[in-house]
Amino acid sequence: MTGIAESIMSPSDWAMMPVALPLLGAALSLLAKAFIKKGPWASLFEYLGAFVGLALPWLALAVLAPLVLSGGSVQAIIGSWSPLVGISFRFDGLTWLVDMLGFSVAGMAWLYSVGAGPKGPAFTTIYLIQASALAATAATTDLFNLFVCLEVLGMASYVLVTSSEKPGAFLAAFSYLMVSAAAMVFFLLGVYGLYRLTGTLSYSSIAAALALLPDGGGYTAVVSLACISAAVALRVAVMPLYGWLPDAHALAPHAVSAVLSGVLIKTPLFALSRFLLAMPGGGMAGQLFGYAGAITALGGVIIALSQKDAKRLLAYHSISQIGYVVSAWGAGVSALSRGEAVGYALLSAAFLHAFYHALFKGLLFLTVGTATDAAAERDVYVLRGAGAILKKSGERLPFTLLSFAVGALSISALPPFNGFVSKAALSYVLKGRWEYIFLFIAGIGTTASFIKLAGIFAPPKRGAGIAAASSLPGYTAKKTVMTAQAVLALACVASGLAGPWFYRFVGRLLSGGHYSIGVLRLYDLDSLLKTGGIVLAGYVLYKLALTGIGKRIAARIRERPRGFHGLFAAFSLGLGGLTLWISFFRFQ
Amino acid sequence: MIDRIIVGLIFLVGLWGLIGKRNLIKKVFGLSIINAAVVILFIMEGGKAGSSAPILEPGVRDIVDPVPQALMLTAIVIGVCVTALALAMAYRLYKATGSFDIDEVRERLDDGHR
Repeated sequence: MTGIAESIMSPSDWAMMPVALPLLGAALSLLAKAFIKKGPWASLFEYLGAFVGLALPWLALAVLAPLVLSGGSVQAIIGSWSPLVGISFRFDGLTWLVDMLGFSVAGMAWLYSVGAGPKGPAFTTIYLIQASALAATAATTDLFNLFVCLEVLGMASYVLVTSSEKPGAFLAAFSYLMVSAAAMVFFLLGVYGLYRLTGTLSYSSIAAALALLPDGGGYTAVVSLACISAAVALRVAVMPLYGWLPDAHALAPHAVSAVLSGVLIKTPLFALSRFLLAMPGGGMAGQLFGYAGAITALGGVIIALSQKDAKRLLAYHSISQIGYVVSAWGAGVSALSRGEAVGYALLSAAFLHAFYHALFKGLLFLTVGTATDAAAERDVYVLRGAGAILKKSGERLPFTLLSFAVGALSISALPPFNGFVSKAALSYVLKGRWEYIFLFIAGIGTTASFIKLAGIFAPPKRGAGIAAASSLPGYTAKKTVMTAQAVLALACVASGLAGPWFYRFVGRLLSGGHYSIGVLRLYDLDSLLKTGGIVLAGYVLYKLALTGIGKRIAARIRERPRGFHGLFAAFSLGLGGLTLWISFFRFQ
Repeated sequence: MIDRIIVGLIFLVGLWGLIGKRNLIKKVFGLSIINAAVVILFIMEGGKAGSSAPILEPGVRDIVDPVPQALMLTAIVIGVCVTALALAMAYRLYKATGSFDIDEVRERLDDGHR
């Protein structure tokens, strides 16, 4: 197959395809929007665009798989310009993995949107532009190109958040836009600092030029590094930079929420690892990220447990789960920058959890979205009997309930679902660090909070909750919605069963074949006892949260003041902290 | 030195507009101003060495570095898109709530939800 593929295009052309095909698809869909507007032809062009943009990139990934598996990579300059002015990109194992993560969730979420909305070529166009920017972000090795990719990514996501047409979504998108555009100005300042020092923009030549400077660039280099890292950290929503996420993710259309939570907060993180690994001082920045990640994992789950809006609860869980990813990622970047090969195991565990989280959180957003749409109620304490309501709206078998159960069991890390495997990998690599304890407690909170969320499918109490028989809104079950949910649910189960194998596969791709990860022992007595303990403790915590005191604390956390200024205060705090942290370790 | 101080002041004015002002439109102004400050900084510092425009033809020597200018063209285009999008959102918020004041907008939206 590789032979045929190479007779069509060179590897470096194939490597461009995950970026180029979604753009081509967006153009096709835009054609429908601009010239045809309505009717079967418009849908034909729109669906063709989605097929080109979301399905065909898998072909490119399949063609490139043997190359990256053998430890190879494609490094090229777009348009064959001279290295001095051209934009360089790199397609290696990391790019391949991040692309795979992006296209698996983006494809299914788009399918869901066909049934559940938002519909139309305009939505598909923006959606495909976002997919293209995701792939470009994963491959870039050039600072300014990273800036452009992040801006395109952001711009597409602001528009997609507002496509739910809720007034609250406009405020959420406005706040998100303001704080992230301001952060990108600081990113540009960082680019300015490094360009002034080195006169170049690609990561490798910046690193080479800084090494030649007597003091490694001094404070200018440190502040620039902090500016760039803080701007990316905002996109990843690590604490304290998480304030924009809950509203944006909770008020976006369900399909968009799935992509935002599943993919969009992780791609910038893995793109940043390329930069940090190249830069002097990047390891220290990674370490601080890792510590912040552990705190995020616990803090996010505490706030999530106190929420009553179903989707907002899921959004806070995204923050918590990205905390898990970042804590292992940060430790991995730090270890690799010191030259320790164990960093590959840490990074692989981080990616494994990022990928599995994308699958199960995408699934959770879609199924909870279906349930809350059918019942026209989002309050976790009010909505009951969602399964019965869905049955009335035309779902013959309880597919949504089953899919939700798979997602909830995955995120609560129960065997044999995929969350169990990735959390086992995380605890395996983080054992002995203080972050491990934080993640362990966060695991208990996660279980408690999903016992609470599962209540929406519980049968209604007499006289309370929404009566399933009474006024049903005009909701009907759609085949596309069911298919998207079923595929993601199957992926959660399959990737859980194949987990240990997949973990080794990720390790091989990330290290370019240099490092092989030990066998992950999953089903020994120790880890099963631990899982049982977490579930038990989670149930106790759930019961505690239902007591009078628990409810008062929850209300206090839920109604804490959250405003526009807080976002900027948090960004200043993050930027200042990062600068001090890196300079402390570099100049002590 | 004075030129850098002026750019710094422009940046601070923008930041004040972005954070200190409660009006949505003025916040968008603030964002445009800090963006402009960084663009000016790049162009100013990038143009210090060399004197001719970077049009590579025979006989043209002593050119300025073209990369900062290319970068800033891109940054300006992105800035325009961000401004347009932010203004469109401010308009939709005004239509939904009848106010441009961010605190009032938030209050009225919250009331609408309950």
